[in-house]
Amino acid sequence: MHLNFKNKKITGILSVLPANEINYVDEIGNYNFSEKQSLKLGKIMGYGTRRIVNEGTTVSDLCSYGLNYLFEKNLLDKDSIGAVVLCTQSPDQFLPATSNIIAGKVNLNEDVISLDINQGCAGYEVGLMQAFMLLNTGSINKVVLLNADILSKKISIKDRNSRPLVGDGASVTIIENSNDNEEIDLFIKMDGTGAFSLQIPAGGFKLPSTEQTAELVEDVAGNLRALDHLVMKGDEVFNFVQTKVPEMLFDMFEKLGIDKTYFDYYFFHQPNKFMLEKLAEKINIPYEKMPNNICEKYGNGSNITVPLNICENLGAKALTESYRVCLGGFGVGLTWSLIKWKLEKLDFCKIINY
Amino acid sequence: MKEDLLNKIAEILEVEEITMEDELNSFDEWDSLTGLSIIALVDSDYKKTLSNDQIKEFITVGDLVAFILD
Repeated sequence: MHLNFKNKKITGILSVLPANEINYVDEIGNYNFSEKQSLKLGKIMGYGTRRIVNEGTTVSDLCSYGLNYLFEKNLLDKDSIGAVVLCTQSPDQFLPATSNIIAGKVNLNEDVISLDINQGCAGYEVGLMQAFMLLNTGSINKVVLLNADILSKKISIKDRNSRPLVGDGASVTIIENSNDNEEIDLFIKMDGTGAFSLQIPAGGFKLPSTEQTAELVEDVAGNLRALDHLVMKGDEVFNFVQTKVPEMLFDMFEKLGIDKTYFDYYFFHQPNKFMLEKLAEKINIPYEKMPNNICEKYGNGSNITVPLNICENLGAKALTESYRVCLGGFGVGLTWSLIKWKLEKLDFCKIINY
Repeated sequence: MKEDLLNKIAEILEVEEITMEDELNSFDEWDSLTGLSIIALVDSDYKKTLSNDQIKEFITVGDLVAFILD
């Protein structure tokens, strides 16, 4: 699917990270692998430090903290918000929607629409798509997109397949109508036949959590996890990303009559450094054009990697310069999406600690 | 072509040289990470898709090479 939008701009991005930092090398002892094997894995995949929430911290805590920060610093006028869209796969509860909980916590008025979207790795692109559609109504001039995940809570500490990647956090992006006539092209595809490549089998209505679903079971590679935990078919996901993302990108180049040099940056979802290096090689662009430093510094926060990528790698430069960017998300769903957009000067672009 | 591929596999397995008859399980470095490195190599240099399940079927280096160069 190719969707075209225009006259929309991002005016600010804030990332909220838990202050609690853990280090890959400190966890090696948890795994069923030799220290040498795990160190080699860490080096190749790019595992370093990650930010993990403390027990009890929820997505609504991180998001309302970020929103209150913006209200207090006069970076966001509460009365100007028309809608709040939250993309997360770690909701506080099954019901109500976590965006309703957040709206209550920060006291938004009754005219503000709150929506939850169940998306992960491509949550930024899907959230932006929803924001664009809300802005297209003509009645809404400002959408707050929240992306947040705390999936570390659902990963076995003895799972070397997933544990070293995952970090937690939230981001707040402000999207508004503009008059710049700049075209935004959004490409998105989904493949439900791959729905279980990345999943948490138990804990929903189909298979509620019980003592049995909490039992750790060893897989063929030597990782221990329970049905309550996130499980990922690493090889399938790798092959999916390396095939589908370049395919979509080259299709985008052709349809829009541009080439790889058009973009100043490719701000992509960052499952790990290895995956991003391989993608950059496949597209034949320098590594610097597709930053890959998020996973090794903060962990892969699923929904938050793209906005965090922008905050980390542009930061204050985004306040004075504009950039042609290709945003990209790919993973759980399976969902993959690319957005061609011009990032105009922002009012804020930073990272704060929770 | 085959020599080049054998060199690349040897590099991933961190050994000086390998033969077609060597059993994959006999290498110290043969683990899930090596598997992913080979999947990545096959994807980037040979434009083929390889899965963990397929890799498990290969007994010798020769089995792997035959799949890649087929």
